Amino acid sequence: MTLQTKRYLIGFLGLLFLASLVLVQAMEIARKREEVGLASGHVVVPTKSKSCVECHGKSSPGIIDHWKFSTHAKKGVGCVECHQAQKGDVDAFTHYGELIATVVTPKDCGRCHEKETKEFTHSHHAKAGNILASLDNFLAETVEGSRTPFNPHSPTPGKPDIHQVNGMASAATGCMQCHGSKVALLAKDGGKITFEELKPDAKSGQPTNLDVLDRIAKSEDGRPKFHADTWPNTGIGRLNLDGSLGSCSACHSRHDFSPRRARQPENCGKCHLGPDHPQKEIYEESKHGVAFRDLKDHMNLNAKDWVLGKDYSQAPTCATCHMSGHAKNGGTITHDPGQRISWTNRPPVSAVLDTDANGKLVTEADPAKRRSLVTFSAEEKRTNMKQVCHHCHTPDYVNAFYKQYDDFVINYNEKFAKPGTSIMAELRKHDLLTKTEFDEEIEWTWFYLWHHEGRRARHGASMMAPDYAHWHGMYEVAERFYMQLIPQAREITKHAAESGKADQAAAVNKVIDEILARPEHKWQERQKAHHAER
Amino acid sequence: MTVNVIKRWFAERLPVTGVQLQELTNEPVPAHLRHWWFCLGGTPAYLFVVQIVTGILLAFYYQPSPSTAYQSIDTITNQVAFGWYIRGMHKWAATLMIAAVILHQMRVYFTGAYRQPREINWMIGMCLLMCTLVVGFTGYSLVFEQLSFWGATVAANICDTVPYFGVFAKRMLLAGDTYNDNTLSRFFILHAAVLPGLMILLIGIHVAILRLQGVSELRFENEPPDAPQHFDFFPDHFYTELIIGLILMVVLSVLATVLPVTLGPQADPLTTPEVIKPEWWFYVSFRWLKLFSGTFAVLSTGFIVFVMFAWPFIDGWIRKHTRFTEASVWIGIVGVFLLVGLTVWEAVVEH
Repeated sequence: MTLQTKRYLIGFLGLLFLASLVLVQAMEIARKREEVGLASGHVVVPTKSKSCVECHGKSSPGIIDHWKFSTHAKKGVGCVECHQAQKGDVDAFTHYGELIATVVTPKDCGRCHEKETKEFTHSHHAKAGNILASLDNFLAETVEGSRTPFNPHSPTPGKPDIHQVNGMASAATGCMQCHGSKVALLAKDGGKITFEELKPDAKSGQPTNLDVLDRIAKSEDGRPKFHADTWPNTGIGRLNLDGSLGSCSACHSRHDFSPRRARQPENCGKCHLGPDHPQKEIYEESKHGVAFRDLKDHMNLNAKDWVLGKDYSQAPTCATCHMSGHAKNGGTITHDPGQRISWTNRPPVSAVLDTDANGKLVTEADPAKRRSLVTFSAEEKRTNMKQVCHHCHTPDYVNAFYKQYDDFVINYNEKFAKPGTSIMAELRKHDLLTKTEFDEEIEWTWFYLWHHEGRRARHGASMMAPDYAHWHGMYEVAERFYMQLIPQAREITKHAAESGKADQAAAVNKVIDEILARPEHKWQERQKAHHAER
Repeated sequence: MTVNVIKRWFAERLPVTGVQLQELTNEPVPAHLRHWWFCLGGTPAYLFVVQIVTGILLAFYYQPSPSTAYQSIDTITNQVAFGWYIRGMHKWAATLMIAAVILHQMRVYFTGAYRQPREINWMIGMCLLMCTLVVGFTGYSLVFEQLSFWGATVAANICDTVPYFGVFAKRMLLAGDTYNDNTLSRFFILHAAVLPGLMILLIGIHVAILRLQGVSELRFENEPPDAPQHFDFFPDHFYTELIIGLILMVVLSVLATVLPVTLGPQADPLTTPEVIKPEWWFYVSFRWLKLFSGTFAVLSTGFIVFVMFAWPFIDGWIRKHTRFTEASVWIGIVGVFLLVGLTVWEAVVEH
């Protein structure tokens, strides 16, 4: 090789190396842009979804932008892959040559995410829509609104077309956006067609009651219409037309399905906040939440698997403790948060969360019978949670915490919850309360005591938030019990005695007296003396 | 005018002229070095420089303690500007450097360039090979991912099987009886200071001896008798080395971008991985260990390394006292087959 040739070769190789550095620079810029959210990663648009992306990129660009930042987009999962429908699906319609459906249900997600869907379906989250008979539902549909439409009583200036008031509005916008709606198609007569009428096949999700199909109202292009009381809805326990339960987008947000977002407490805070179950605020008060706010930037929230002890250790979020994988369980994620919860603090009296084969709470009191029914014990669930705790706390520390928590819950149960339940039951038993809920002051009092203050206290104790455990919790429980519930119960018995129901009044007073005679209530001698005077 | 002033300023302080410098560096180079495959000796040295530069950049962010090491590597890979590229260059240059050292040594072996009077330089080369392998091992351990942690643990346990000396060697390696908080800082000091320093010294002696003795000269059968036997170092050979250097930079750059370095699961001392494997350059000794009992495998490996060190003398004795003057070639071929065979074997099987 001549010297001249060598010089040319050196020049060429030098340029080639410089070109590689330019490429590296371009890659670095692209990486940084992606990191700060200015650009999406490499997007693969599947052939079937090309026209969707093109058209919706103009008509509803937000959807496409969100999708471009998703893992789906990087892996070539497009619009049709999720929205595809089968011939015979009740909500299917042809849209520019593709048979699709608007609502994507867990059954659809389960085509690829089978394990996650199975876990979720088994969870309490998926059953959150079953609140039809609950007090909360009665509150929203009857007390706050009306189960039947009613007429407006005076005009609303600027809105002349209001001829009827939708009394279900509070339930639709309040309860159902967290608990999930019973998704309904609009019937030609304006009514609802839900899965109950459609009777979907368990496997395919297609309706077996074909007589209903003719009643479905459709738009000009053949698209089935949804009843506006039930859709749009991303409640976590949504009752879907195909019979499946829940909505994956409740936590994973369509259309970017961001794992980063699902890992942050704000995501859970869409529902787990407020006066009756302020888990997010409780978390924020706890040292866990304080550490998260400080160290969020170091928590590797974009990591692929986000395994505690591998990808991060700075602080736990809701997802960390209740769902995410960690180094001690091999990074196994669960989509059933109940797998790590050992008390249920939802009912008036907290219960040990032993569950049966169907995932239902075992209420059997006889120890032998109880053992035979329990398939997943509270102790096993607690062990699962302790594994998470052990990443940062010693076994002694964790066990001592659980002792404090158990003591707190049992104190609440024994001193206020069980006595309160007995008093309310006794009042009902002797017909001193009407059958209708919330039409008497004491029913509101009792509801505040266990549903709001009692839960706040117990949740505060479960997640290390002293202020919620005490001032927003037990202090208010005690005040409500002594200053309102007991006096109101006495008031009812007084009126009962005056109106010829002396025996019933005496029976209730006997229960109250027995409760107040217990050592833990004895400090309240004056209240008793006051009652005697009256 | 200004240039002359600067030249005079330097000439007054550095009493070396350009002509003298040219004489010093422009030593005649044997004609066989016109073939690029004879220039592999410079390749590991070149890659060593790349390792030092990229290593210094990585050391700005690396934190050698079990609680922070993995996180700092993760930060380098995912957050630091160009961190992924520098780490990729460092990792790939390490891989290529080990390959280049082995290829260079094979070239020296098969051309008999280790023979008298170059025995000392062969042994220094062997020391450099050992240093390169240990630098590779300590560097891999610094990542503190599951496999590198367990690889180091296995290596320490292997040391333990050596009679008398084993326990001491294990303690020296781990800074204690087991992997502890000081182990990583020990690996880091070895990887980033002690071994590179030693290697710089050895490379200096290696090159100095090479210059003092001159490069061993080879003749080819089809070479015309009147062909020039030497050519100039500068610029001719310098250009060849520059071309090799640039090719290496382009190859490294492409590897670092097309096959970026990944990060496995973080080390978990409580969970032993189902499959533990070292980096590819230890596959041969790992397979050897699996074939025989621990003590025999370790002692036989030590014996093989000793034979490699002393090979110039063993080969000299064979050539002088037996009729097998080409024995080294056949032994070398068997050695290469064993090296490649055991490496491939370990690579293709799961356990």
